[in-house]
Amino acid sequence: MWLFDTIGQWRTNSRIHSLEQVLTAKPTPMLYLQLADAHKEAGNQARATQVLKQGAARYPNAPEIVRRQAEAEKHEREMEIKRLVERIQTHPNPILYARLAELYKASDELSKTIDTCQRGIKAFPKYGGTYLVLGQIFADKKQWSESAAQLEKSISLDKYNYLALKLLASVYLQLSRPADAVQRLEDILYFAPGDEAILALLKTAKAEGDAQQPVTSLAVPQTKLVAPKSQTRVMFGGPDTGVRHGTSILPKPTHSKVQLFAKGLADLRTVEGVTGAILVDQYGLVISADLDPSLDEGLAGALITNVYRSASNYSVKLGVGQFEEGVIEGQDGNIHIVQFDDMILTLFAQADVKLGLVEKSIRDFAESILQQ
Amino acid sequence: MRAILAELNKTQGIWGSMVVGRDGIVVASDFSIDVQESQIGAIASQILVALDGALKRIKMGEFKRFMIGGSENKLALINVGQTILIVLMRRDVNMGLANVDIKNAMDAVAKNSRM
Repeated sequence: MWLFDTIGQWRTNSRIHSLEQVLTAKPTPMLYLQLADAHKEAGNQARATQVLKQGAARYPNAPEIVRRQAEAEKHEREMEIKRLVERIQTHPNPILYARLAELYKASDELSKTIDTCQRGIKAFPKYGGTYLVLGQIFADKKQWSESAAQLEKSISLDKYNYLALKLLASVYLQLSRPADAVQRLEDILYFAPGDEAILALLKTAKAEGDAQQPVTSLAVPQTKLVAPKSQTRVMFGGPDTGVRHGTSILPKPTHSKVQLFAKGLADLRTVEGVTGAILVDQYGLVISADLDPSLDEGLAGALITNVYRSASNYSVKLGVGQFEEGVIEGQDGNIHIVQFDDMILTLFAQADVKLGLVEKSIRDFAESILQQ
Repeated sequence: MRAILAELNKTQGIWGSMVVGRDGIVVASDFSIDVQESQIGAIASQILVALDGALKRIKMGEFKRFMIGGSENKLALINVGQTILIVLMRRDVNMGLANVDIKNAMDAVAKNSRM
């Protein structure tokens, strides 16, 4: 029996290897399906889902691969919902509520989405991500005023939130408030210069504004993002962590993971040549940071998230598969971006930093977080 | 330009390379695997805009190179004056070796662009 299993496994692995080689040289939708099946047969459901995602991104008009990918995503969502519900019960934090609400939303479970957002807001009223999800739900239901109210709240807590600013601009256009939409889009361009989607939306908003003379703005007075004040948005951290922090939007850390983030970043900062480290969530919100005081943490988080978004959204089309890490080399320094566990870790380093040392430190940090 | 890329692509672990203008328009390309060159060029140009903006605001000087590591391959976007050199590599490529050949290709592309 053991021998039979081993031979079977060897056959599957050989098949995976040969399919991967053919797929690299000459990809087709059928090859993606066969490779996904082979991974599933080998008991690697996660890899099978990943292959289907890559195939669907490459062949968005191939019906079978799109159907299979949707099925796999649904399964993955259900597993993740289960995991998040359990984690909220044991170690609640605002990101978990926002993520859970997003998953319910993706499954078209609107009442559960709204309920999760409301519970999240009640528990953590100073986290912008949950208001964003609620704003998205109202926008989907075409309840524009309600959506605007939630999104404005989200932005008041997190002025560099790309998704909230972009959606709010679209909602303002629906409410015939093009001048306010223009303001929000220009805010985005401050930290995402040249973003093509935003430039296109800005063109529309300006055209609508020109057509709507005289412009009558009903918006509440808003501040343009031309000179961001130093606003620390460290969500976690405390006086005993050694991490520079300002206004914490969460109560003092109560569990080991939170303290681990802060300690991990502080450790990374001690690596020779490393000048700063920042951990942001999927919305670009700063979880923890240890940066040079001259650098605005919120702005750094937004800029990095913008670069990450540009690279990761297109990584499959660029031929690299799912984004894992990136190193930006500038004239006066390097930026290392690593994605793990729904977070983005960024390290700022001098140009002559020893890359091997940095990579080892990042691996150690990631391992210590993932082990928890 | 094509000859420079062909020479670079002899390096073990390199799938292919291309040169695009900063507007994303393909100048030359040479790949041993099936890729959509014009799409990669357009995306690279968009990423470059985000990178330039970020480096400027974070005060890290002019953009030199962006290396993306993915689940399947690696991609390098390299600033060569008015053009971008893009190199697609295997995930397990020997970067020490590849870096030497990429540097040679960069110099040759820069020289060729000035002519």
